Amino acid sequence: MTINFSAPHLVPENGDEELTRALRDLYAAPDGDGYWSALERRIMDRIAGGDALDDWWTVPAQWARVALIAAGFALIVAGSLYLRSRAEQRQMVYDSLLGPAAGGPTLAIRDAQSERQATLNYINGR
Amino acid sequence: MTAIALRPASVALPGRSTRRVTTPDRPDDEKALVLSAQRGELEAFSELVRRHQRRAYAVARAIVTTHEDAEDAVQDAFLHAYRALHRFLPDQAFGAWLHRIVANASLDITRRRKVRDADELPETIASPFRDPAESDELRLRLHDALARIPARQRSVIVLHDVEGFKHSEIGRLLGIPEGTARSDLHYARSALRRLLDQLRSPQ
Repeated sequence: MTINFSAPHLVPENGDEELTRALRDLYAAPDGDGYWSALERRIMDRIAGGDALDDWWTVPAQWARVALIAAGFALIVAGSLYLRSRAEQRQMVYDSLLGPAAGGPTLAIRDAQSERQATLNYINGR
Repeated sequence: MTAIALRPASVALPGRSTRRVTTPDRPDDEKALVLSAQRGELEAFSELVRRHQRRAYAVARAIVTTHEDAEDAVQDAFLHAYRALHRFLPDQAFGAWLHRIVANASLDITRRRKVRDADELPETIASPFRDPAESDELRLRLHDALARIPARQRSVIVLHDVEGFKHSEIGRLLGIPEGTARSDLHYARSALRRLLDQLRSPQ
């Protein structure tokens, strides 16, 4: 297949000059003041409007409120579970220290009167 | 408040089209504009946009593959620049600072596009902003050839050969060593020449 170039002066044949010319032609910026005025206006409108940038660090910001609420909720749940488990552990420790010894006599002391009666019962029982 | 004389943005450089390069020729004037913009004067920033948007577009266009993405990158970059303006030291070159931001915005768009298009068709170079009726065979072939070289090499050759950036500037823009930019340019030119020769040769 032979390609017939319609613009021979642009053919990058013997050097970089032609290639450069072709590249410049290909990458030429939009012409016309109208285009640039419109672009400038768009930029300034975005600046004046405090437009958010669509960047990786701003995309999560859109979800920041939801994430914060979820994180707060998770923190509360985790905290209450932790406190509850500590309270249970503490209770178990108290129970093991102060609770009735396994197999021993059960002594329920209500008041001084009961205490005396219980003591008497214990002595008599022996 | 400093009074600033606003003047037409386009400045012709020797051998270059005014549509490609827009550069302020009085640094003091630009410094005053930057200072005003830093004080929150939108009109001053608007003038900076007016002066730099064409060059910013050219930088973006060299990195992204479509005109639309280049436009997005330019807009995002100016927004970033406006928000970071308080951190900019007015004695520095505003253009160089802006171009870094444009390059970053463009690379960011390219990365996101790559992820988004991962399951779609292989990468192709979309037509730059122009009337399709203007396209001729060479442009199409050059398109094809550009699509076949690595994206970074494409960016380097466009930034160097089309926009006239130096190797060191390209290195800073793309975050690569100057030597890498130099070798990328060499490989890109060779590859394009080879590909175009293949396309022109009888099959």
